Amino acid sequence: MLDDYLKANLANWDERVGVHVESDLYDVEGFKSGRSSLTRVEQDELGPLVHVGTSLLHLQCHFGLDTLSWARAGAVVTGADFSGEAIAQARALADEVGLSARATFVQSDVTSLANVLGGRFDVVFTSWGVLIWLQDLEPWADVVTHFLKPGGTFYLAEFHPNVMTLAEDSTPDRLRVGYPYFQHGEPLRFDEPGTYADPGARTRNNVTYEWVHGFAETIDPLLRRGLRLDFLHEFPFTHGLSFPFLEKCDDGLLRVKGHHDDFPLSFSLKMTKET
Amino acid sequence: MNDVEAAGPGRSAAPAGGDPIPAEARAANRKLWAEWTRVHAASPGYDVEGFKAGRRSLTPIELEELGPLLHPGTSLLHLQCHFGLDTLCCARLGADVVGLDFSPEAIALARALADEVGLSARAAFVESDLYEADSHLGDKLFDVVFVNWGAIEWLPDLDRWAAIVARHLRPGGTFYMAEIHPYAQGFDELPGEKDVHIAFPYFHDALRPEVEPVDRDYADREARFDDLVAYGWNHDLAEIVNSLIGAGLRIEHLHEFPFSPCPWWDWMEEDEERWWWLPDGKGSRRRDLPITYSIRAGRPAT
Repeated sequence: MLDDYLKANLANWDERVGVHVESDLYDVEGFKSGRSSLTRVEQDELGPLVHVGTSLLHLQCHFGLDTLSWARAGAVVTGADFSGEAIAQARALADEVGLSARATFVQSDVTSLANVLGGRFDVVFTSWGVLIWLQDLEPWADVVTHFLKPGGTFYLAEFHPNVMTLAEDSTPDRLRVGYPYFQHGEPLRFDEPGTYADPGARTRNNVTYEWVHGFAETIDPLLRRGLRLDFLHEFPFTHGLSFPFLEKCDDGLLRVKGHHDDFPLSFSLKMTKET
Repeated sequence: MNDVEAAGPGRSAAPAGGDPIPAEARAANRKLWAEWTRVHAASPGYDVEGFKAGRRSLTPIELEELGPLLHPGTSLLHLQCHFGLDTLCCARLGADVVGLDFSPEAIALARALADEVGLSARAAFVESDLYEADSHLGDKLFDVVFVNWGAIEWLPDLDRWAAIVARHLRPGGTFYMAEIHPYAQGFDELPGEKDVHIAFPYFHDALRPEVEPVDRDYADREARFDDLVAYGWNHDLAEIVNSLIGAGLRIEHLHEFPFSPCPWWDWMEEDEERWWWLPDGKGSRRRDLPITYSIRAGRPAT
């Protein structure tokens, strides 16, 4: 069954790469002319640790926009994604912006990555809508730990598990739980045309299977593998989600309607593999 | 335990940075806990008679996660210990315990209970506001510092709380807490529906207390009050975790659970292990929402 889920998710993502490359949200033209695709949160929190020559592995990198933004900041980057379409786009983009000498892209799902990629990295980085595509975070934590050098940094920026529980028909007056925080057994199945970056896009491969993960399920496997938690941050804003109860604010960030300051939409954490 | 008692009242000095709890909040909360202590002594939820007869008051989670840290001679500090039932349960498991609580009624009951069950040689109780703990505990270090169930919501400043935890933990010692989940702190019942919605904010102004009238008791569903008010401060998960990290502790585990040690609403259902669950409306228990959590953190040995 897992193979069927992954097959559906892969078809969905392969098809969406082309849509995303053309989308306003990803703004590839802006990136080509120098804009960093990284959010303020990532730039503020991980940026100070990325120097010229820092080796950085980006897990579930999609078509590499953020990976290449770290390369522009000086890092020597490797991006990995399970979508062949995404990896092809990432390589083409690296060539076009002249970063291919410092950017390698590998097609592999996360859990098999150690079979196709060697080396250890100063930074393992992963962000925004990655965890829901993984059924089990135990093997994921193995991969994170495996690829970190002693003294290396793991950094994750993600959508907050609380917002993943909100029902679509939540209103400012009534925020309702529509989805689980703890998921047991089968994945959530969605059948939705378009994408968060372009809801009106005409797409054929629309079924996805997703797994939600709470904080403990995300953090505890990494703690058990010996990583030290340096911080956990939570934010009442995010970007790149398309839920009806969100609205875009003047600063370009999404917040919950009627709850601009008090509902958590994203989080970040930093961990260290001690020497 | 005499050294702890010897350092007791009279030595207290205002902690650096002033008292973070407003006077009216402390007065209201003391009155509330005096009443709750009176009711709890005879409540089904605390089941003091059962405890006297040998029942363990700690939950299965605490027995599993904290229990292995307790050996004969382990020193344990239980902060915000109420009337000491769980403190004494740790003593029964072998530990030499100190319980600390701000309620004189609770501490008096804890001492009486320790005498009655024959544990007073290994159990001391200190009446102290949490933020005044240093002036009573001196520089005493413990193998384990323990906090559980509805404790930190009475504290405005977690950085100072975590500093007290760390200061009284020996190098290599362990902090363990089991608490109400920050997400669930925001839940309220939907009237008539046996279901919850998200009614209260997750992020809070750290300095502004939530002021709520209290007409009921979590341990005795029959009890009613008419002039009690609670001043509380909710904390998000990042604030809790980062306060411990900031105090120099290393987070060793974070666990989340879909059940509570006491009922929050009349329609919650109790299981055979005395956990209270939200029903799922289809005859089963709701396992999809975080209701409680536990954290274990260590003070590095060097």
